[in-house]
Amino acid sequence: MTTAVTTATPKIVPPPPEPAPAEPNYLNINYSLWGWLTTVDHKRIGILYLISITVFFLAGGIAAGIVRLNLLAPDGAIINEDAYNRAFTAHGVLMLFFFLIPAVPAVLGNFLIPMMIGAKDLAFPKLNLASWYVFMIGAGFGVWAILAGGIDTGWTLYPPYSSRSSQSNVVPGVFGVFISGFSSIMTGLNIMVTVHKMRAPGMTWGRLPLFVWSLYATSLIQLLGTPVVAITTLLLMVERVAGIGIFDPLIGGDPVLFQHLFWFYSHPAVYIMILPGMGVVSEVLTCFSRKNIFGYHAVAWSSMGIAVVGFMLWAHHMFVAGISYYSALLFSFLSMLVAVPSAIKVFNWTGTLYKGSITFQAPMLFALGFVVLFVIGGLTGLFLATLGTDIHLHDTYFVVAHFHFVMVGGMVLGYMAGIHFWWPKMTGRMYSDWWSRVAAAIIIVGFFLTFVPQFIMGYHGMPRRYPNYPQEFQVYNVMSTAGASILGLGYLLPSIYLTLSLFFGKKATGNPWSATGLEWASPSPPPPFNFDEAHMPVVVCGPYEYALGIDQMGRGLPEGPGLGTANDPSSKHDESSAPGPMNKETEVVG
Amino acid sequence: MSSDPNQTPATPHDNQDVVAHVDSPPTLLIVYVAILALFAATVLISSSGMFGKYTLFVQLGIGTIQASLVGCYFMHLRHGDRVVILTALASIFWMGILFVLFMSDYMTRHRVIG
Amino acid sequence: MSASTHSPVLKHHFEDLNQQHASERLGMWMFLATEVLFFGGLFGAYACYRLWYAAEFEFASSFMNVKFASINTVFLVTSSLTMTLAIRCAKLGDKAGIYRNLLLTFALGSAFMVLKGFEYAEDFHEGILPGASSFGVTDLKHNIKTDAEHAGLDTGKVRLFLCFYYIMTGIHGVHIIIGLGCILWLVQQNYANALPPDNYSTVEVVSLYWHLVDAIWLFLMPMLYLAGAHIKHVGH
Repeated sequence: MTTAVTTATPKIVPPPPEPAPAEPNYLNINYSLWGWLTTVDHKRIGILYLISITVFFLAGGIAAGIVRLNLLAPDGAIINEDAYNRAFTAHGVLMLFFFLIPAVPAVLGNFLIPMMIGAKDLAFPKLNLASWYVFMIGAGFGVWAILAGGIDTGWTLYPPYSSRSSQSNVVPGVFGVFISGFSSIMTGLNIMVTVHKMRAPGMTWGRLPLFVWSLYATSLIQLLGTPVVAITTLLLMVERVAGIGIFDPLIGGDPVLFQHLFWFYSHPAVYIMILPGMGVVSEVLTCFSRKNIFGYHAVAWSSMGIAVVGFMLWAHHMFVAGISYYSALLFSFLSMLVAVPSAIKVFNWTGTLYKGSITFQAPMLFALGFVVLFVIGGLTGLFLATLGTDIHLHDTYFVVAHFHFVMVGGMVLGYMAGIHFWWPKMTGRMYSDWWSRVAAAIIIVGFFLTFVPQFIMGYHGMPRRYPNYPQEFQVYNVMSTAGASILGLGYLLPSIYLTLSLFFGKKATGNPWSATGLEWASPSPPPPFNFDEAHMPVVVCGPYEYALGIDQMGRGLPEGPGLGTANDPSSKHDESSAPGPMNKETEVVG
Repeated sequence: MSSDPNQTPATPHDNQDVVAHVDSPPTLLIVYVAILALFAATVLISSSGMFGKYTLFVQLGIGTIQASLVGCYFMHLRHGDRVVILTALASIFWMGILFVLFMSDYMTRHRVIG
Repeated sequence: MSASTHSPVLKHHFEDLNQQHASERLGMWMFLATEVLFFGGLFGAYACYRLWYAAEFEFASSFMNVKFASINTVFLVTSSLTMTLAIRCAKLGDKAGIYRNLLLTFALGSAFMVLKGFEYAEDFHEGILPGASSFGVTDLKHNIKTDAEHAGLDTGKVRLFLCFYYIMTGIHGVHIIIGLGCILWLVQQNYANALPPDNYSTVEVVSLYWHLVDAIWLFLMPMLYLAGAHIKHVGH
């Protein structure tokens, strides 16, 4: 017999039979555009979001390209100052509101949450479809604003410039943000009610996959934070359109009040962006190190902790804006506190990797990249949370580098990890393993080259949002632009090989990564109601029992592709003995 | 398969919570009168100015009692399930975060350091 | 539990009616939480300025029409009562009772908006406006801005209060109108026999929204109308 890795005697449970391909599955149940546009199937809605946000990612990336190209020369290489303002505003608005905030929750969350908890759909399927339409309407206004010449206020829209002086298309752009916020609220509400009320029998809170915990925490933030930016943008539009405004200094209004209201949402918004990525990382690290998560409860509670504490930090964006010194002290202290749950998660991920049987497929490469880049980004945040150093670093490229490390190095890599991990489930196809690893490597290298020079020049004082800079910074700017082009190439590759996989990729099995979640129990692609309706899942154990070699229903795991056979007990199963329904551990009650 | 939609429901299993918790009109009426009485009180107290600079806190206190009555009796929080009560309390808590931390700036802005 | 006995109002993705009702109720409560934060941002902004400009805010508030607001409060609280009674009728299958209570709620809510319209008209005619101009309205009985100057207060901050007054009551009014629309939809649903006792939660969900709008008014009213109630004006 083989020596098992764990101390407990592993149950050698034969893998379940490969589920019969769903006829029809959620993709081929109909082929009409009308069918797609009127769907209430959470999986199709996830795909609709996937296509939409990819378009906005491309648009935001083009805006970034314009910004970086312009910064090649100290006097602005390709556009004038006014156009530069509009370019970086477009980059911020598109990337934040129309890509990062919906990315994992609306794409992967919509697709996976019902499957992970063993439900047929989200709690409110029609609300889900409405959320996509609301998102698209909001995005439509945003795109109109950009095509009509853009906004030049920066994505932060501070009055009195945005409410009084700016000659750009502030109202349509802000209205687009206002509308798309409702989409975010709807998605968050749907996910929260689903997780509370529609878990499968046996799926207790303590057995939820950590991806679900992360998305629950994200949804909490979406639900409670977005209304405040809604009222803020509404007040801004009223001031701009009707001229009556509560931020107008001429009548005693305080522009800093706008900043308070704005950042009350926009700081927790960054946790909306990062928490789902952390959830993906928990899923991917456990699967590709064939180990249970180290400290499940710590990671779950840390997600909730980040969501709650994250609401109490916002004024660290305003240390030099004129808030009171005592308030700044309080916010600085609170900002340091949020590092604690984030650090707990990183320690637990490290503990998960320790002595695991690690393989380096693309999802794992992206997830490991996330951990490294998030640590660097998070640590640099501490310099910004400290009052004294923030005076020096505020509004410099140090800040730009910090948030790109966590949002691009963190969140976008997390999103890529999730897409690559669940692609076989969503599309029923495998993509090229080699090209995906190459793309991950290129993205990580390109990322370092783009953003590390920005830390250096920011520390030396180069301001953000400036199209002109002293000659001494040119070398860093050129390095950063070169890195950005490599990064762009890296992002282009998945769009090619993932699209090609739809036509030429090997057909995927139900569980190609040999993972333990409920979503892997159904065929790839899944049927319209996720599972065989007569045999909805019943959960008997926690989510990462890789060491025991069982999935959440207590059945065995298939052998994963390319996984090492030496230490993996599940690979020692006797494949020739006929597995069948008699080998199921539990009776499924319907 | 399904019964005529105009009939009462087919199985008792399907609608356990319909039969329970039907409001009693007398209770609702008492709550209604209480809310209006509190309103009259707040108008009288505010006009008389008897609490001076604490009038605002009295008004907020009365408003809180009124909102609690609406919540517990009209919105059925009295027999809501735990997560509903938690949602209601959480919304108040989060609004509290906004108020407390906004005030931490606006109440200390005038203070000079050093 | 087999499919053959499930109620026609049970939606396919739910296991049973309890789960459906509980989900709908929780979903609406979570939406109400977003409304609390939405208005909470406004209330928070108001609180900051009231702290800083107490004298001007109380002065401006003393010009508000407490009588109209009090009548409106009675309308709104009564409509909450009738709305709750509508849920009760739905649970008991009393279709006529549902009609009666829903239409009463609608009437009371509409009366609120009509009175608010009269109030805005009166404010306009009295020059109680947040902008610098009075829109060409002359021969005002008294102009709030000049009155403020006479009292030695900053006109701008008085106008700031009026910004809040219009924005807060305006947004609240929009919520009332949305609520009225939902009540009309319920009336139509009742007509279509879609509100049997199995489906009482549809009435409950609209009712929860309506009660929140009422509760918000119970805070809005003292903040805007009673802040300066202790100040007496000649001829007002």
